[in-house]
Amino acid sequence: MTFSLNLAFSDLLLLLPEIFLTCWLCVVLIVDFSLPRVPKERLAYLSVAGLVVTLGCLAWFDMNHVSGTLFGNMFVLDRMAIFFKIVILGATILVILASIEYVNRFTLFRGEYYCLVVMSALGMMFMVSANDLLSVFVSLEFATLGFYVLVSYLRDDLASNEGGLKFFILGVLAAGLLAYGISLVYGETGKLVFSDMASAQPTPGLIIGFLLIFAALGFKVGAVPFHSWIPDTYHGAPTPVTTFLSIAPKAAAFAILLRIFLVALGTFKPIWVVLLVAVSILSMTYANIVAIAQRNIKRLLAYSGIAQVGNVLIGLAAGTKMGNDAILFYLLAYLFANIGAFAVVIAVSQAIGTDEIEDYRGLSRRSPFLAFAMLLFLLSLAGVPPLAGFIGKLYIFVAAIKEGLYTLIVVGLINIVISMYYYLIVVKQMYINEPIDPSPIAISGPMKTVIYVGLAGTLVIGIYPQPFTDWVVSATLMFANFVGPSVTIIPPGASLGG
Amino acid sequence: MGEYALLYILFAPFAGALALIFISNRQPLLVRSVAASAAFVSLLASLYLFYAYDPVKGGFQFVQKYEWSKQLGISLHLGVDGIGTPLVLASSILLFAGIFVSWHIKDRAKEFYIWLLILAAATIGVFMSLDLFFLYFFYEMSVIPMYLLLGMWGSHTKKYLEMTDSEGLKLRDSVGFILNFGSNSKEYAAMKLVLFLSAFAVAALMGILLIYKYSGLNTFDILVLREQANLMNIPVLGTTLDKIIWVLVFFGFASIAPLWPLHSWSPVGHAAAPAATSMLHAGVLMKLGHFSIIRVAFEILPETTRELMPIAAVLCMFSIVYGGFVAFYAKDTKYVIGYSSSSHMGYVFLGMAALNYISLSGAVIYMFAHAMATGMLFAMAGWVYDQTHTRDIPSLGGLSNKMPFISVCFVIGCMASIGMPGTVNFIAEIMIIVGSWDKYPLQVIVAMLGIVLTLAYLFKMMRGLFYGPMNQKYSHAHDAISAVDRLPLLIMISISIGFGIFPMHLYDVVRSGVDPLVARIMRVVPVAQTHEGSGVRSEVIIPGTTSTVPVVASKLLPLPSQVSRGEGE
Repeated sequence: MTFSLNLAFSDLLLLLPEIFLTCWLCVVLIVDFSLPRVPKERLAYLSVAGLVVTLGCLAWFDMNHVSGTLFGNMFVLDRMAIFFKIVILGATILVILASIEYVNRFTLFRGEYYCLVVMSALGMMFMVSANDLLSVFVSLEFATLGFYVLVSYLRDDLASNEGGLKFFILGVLAAGLLAYGISLVYGETGKLVFSDMASAQPTPGLIIGFLLIFAALGFKVGAVPFHSWIPDTYHGAPTPVTTFLSIAPKAAAFAILLRIFLVALGTFKPIWVVLLVAVSILSMTYANIVAIAQRNIKRLLAYSGIAQVGNVLIGLAAGTKMGNDAILFYLLAYLFANIGAFAVVIAVSQAIGTDEIEDYRGLSRRSPFLAFAMLLFLLSLAGVPPLAGFIGKLYIFVAAIKEGLYTLIVVGLINIVISMYYYLIVVKQMYINEPIDPSPIAISGPMKTVIYVGLAGTLVIGIYPQPFTDWVVSATLMFANFVGPSVTIIPPGASLGG
Repeated sequence: MGEYALLYILFAPFAGALALIFISNRQPLLVRSVAASAAFVSLLASLYLFYAYDPVKGGFQFVQKYEWSKQLGISLHLGVDGIGTPLVLASSILLFAGIFVSWHIKDRAKEFYIWLLILAAATIGVFMSLDLFFLYFFYEMSVIPMYLLLGMWGSHTKKYLEMTDSEGLKLRDSVGFILNFGSNSKEYAAMKLVLFLSAFAVAALMGILLIYKYSGLNTFDILVLREQANLMNIPVLGTTLDKIIWVLVFFGFASIAPLWPLHSWSPVGHAAAPAATSMLHAGVLMKLGHFSIIRVAFEILPETTRELMPIAAVLCMFSIVYGGFVAFYAKDTKYVIGYSSSSHMGYVFLGMAALNYISLSGAVIYMFAHAMATGMLFAMAGWVYDQTHTRDIPSLGGLSNKMPFISVCFVIGCMASIGMPGTVNFIAEIMIIVGSWDKYPLQVIVAMLGIVLTLAYLFKMMRGLFYGPMNQKYSHAHDAISAVDRLPLLIMISISIGFGIFPMHLYDVVRSGVDPLVARIMRVVPVAQTHEGSGVRSEVIIPGTTSTVPVVASKLLPLPSQVSRGEGE
């Protein structure tokens, strides 16, 4: 393998968003240290400003179809990477806005909080551009590092520390598995770049290597049976961190999974379809059934997130261009609904101090806006028309039925009904039960913005999905053309999205 | 208006709901008038639609098509035929009436009207969808408003509130309340309704996805699928694919109808719901089932329908008899009407199962007629409940002294429900019975028995509520005096009697929708003959079976309705 390090300036353009964000991160840190009197709220807006500029830059890339590779194919910027970067940055912005109030609970290091969030976002931006097993490992650990700290940010809270410890131990284990898997794959094929592996033969060593890599990534997305850290970590972590954790790393890990399964393992499809079907069925069924018994809203949303991952895996199991589109679309829908739901959780916990579902009693009387928003977010997660989640689920099912994955679809459909039950339990508390303390709940400005963005996304994608489907279709089209060999993995019968 | 009539009907309630979000609950009159005017626009447009629909031309009219998603092959394709038109009209009448019936709601009135409008708009959307995706979209969309309407404004039976579980917790506070079968709480009813309907709706969705996949046309458009989809003779799991799809679609949608073993959510839901919701629920929501079966199973799988529809003929007997007997022994006003509705929906299934012009037309007219009759009964049961706060028949009685207007209307409602000559129900019932006699004599006899049962339980309830000794506890009850309270009842009564005396246009419209459908289903086996329908067969020209061009629906068939005009009496 040769590394061509003679970088031209125009090549660095591809890294512009990351370079800019890194510099901005340093600026935020310096401001935090040198001007300790500045209210930490300003730091939040400062970070958001940097993220917005980065987002604008990526949008410019997307519109002008900027793409290319760097560092001997280790870093790739294609339209799918841009899509995921936009999703991650969007999530980061919303999470920072949603945490402005919450940060006051931290006793120390309020300023560094924002830096750590941006740093993790930066790591995930590299993750979605990783085109090589080494860059996968490095970027994944870089992104996770920030999260280890963020999860245990509530220093005096036992649950937060416990969650952080569990996350750390299992995270390190996953990193070990990943490294071992990479070494096995490298040993078998002598290659690290995904697109070079497309011609590899399925030897046992290679398969075990990929299974280990899949386990590590399954840990990141939180699929059953690699989910055990999720409920405790989500429960213990500060809620904005939970929000972040439930969206951005999942999206980034799915970007890697898409590249591995569709590019590197395109020829092994018959083998991994079985694996993905099993993991998907387990994730959906187990998480939905366990979610019924949850009494804490964060744990409920944690299990619901596991179930949603199961749904996304249906699209991955389809293994086609359309399945790929459906995954991107679903993640977009999931982003808005999940951030919105967690934003409501943060707003409610700011006002009443707990996250128990029982304490949502009569929310519709205390704050009709919050209750209505929560209703729509939960229904979107459940997949009820006319909300984004419904279109996302349908997109995935259509992609899967074209590949004949009937079992998966039947299980997925049954799970919609099961999940409807526990989402409606929350709705019941909010709307049907009467409040014990009827005092109204105040919502801060930034929080309102986050909820409005979530509502707008959920409704607009659900009612008029055409621009968004166009976007995801073009995002993966570029990806299919760019990587070259992966074009062959698209079965001749499959339509290119219509 | 003109060609955009469907958009007005569909989007007026949505626009009303949207406008209501921005109005404060502190202006109750404004809230009500916005809701009422949205419903009024919808009502006017659907009256226009009903009379502007040209039964001579037939087919799908007022068609609107907007591309919605290229990748998935979905378009917002709206259009009504002779089957959809009367049901759209019935929905908007009941919505308009329902808003006046719930005029006195004080608690969160704004939210109530928002959800009611969304519920009605979603039902209307199903009746005019020509795209499988949107049919399911609107169908599923109507379920969640029901949950909230039942849960927030519904009513329990009193006993329930005192029940506790083993730990001494009130049952309504326990997380596991859904497993507590037999309870009568509104939460239970609402949750059961949603889970039941969603569970069966996803079965129907599976059927729809299978149609999508095996047609290979990459479209959800019903008009394209019914002409071009070839789903026959694909062996799957020891049977053929079309049968599997048909069973999924039929039972998926029959749950909301509700067909006999799938009915248990329905009376519970009726009982818990507030009056206006019960009206919409029994009046139109249940018809979504029959309508969707006609639209999906009958249109796309005509041959399988002919083969498998006897299933419905068997189950409908149980519906009729079971519903009738339970209604006879029930002691709760809303349970009686709820079970009577589920019993009466058996007639519709009978009319559909017989698959000939007369019986299927009868079934469609019956859906319309039943919407009016059951709407009236629920409105009045709601009035009695509002006045007395009880639904327990034995504790009521003698209310005719206090509410003469209501009791007169109630008599008319019972007459309509039984199918007295002079109401549109009579025409519908006689058509179903006459049309089905040749094919299913046993079922017709059962249906006759059902009419006797209807007579028995409705008169029993009428006696229990309005006659006999009066319970002095309810001496404060008063009649519907103001125009606002009387208006909904008068509308429904006048429609019911009006179409009973002048059924011609309704009949022509329905025949124009039913005839091509029956012709499609029956094109191999000669049309079943009825005593009146003997002139029909020779007039039907069967379209070519191998047509590959998407047929413009309005050109589909010359209609026999002109020939058979005038036999409705």
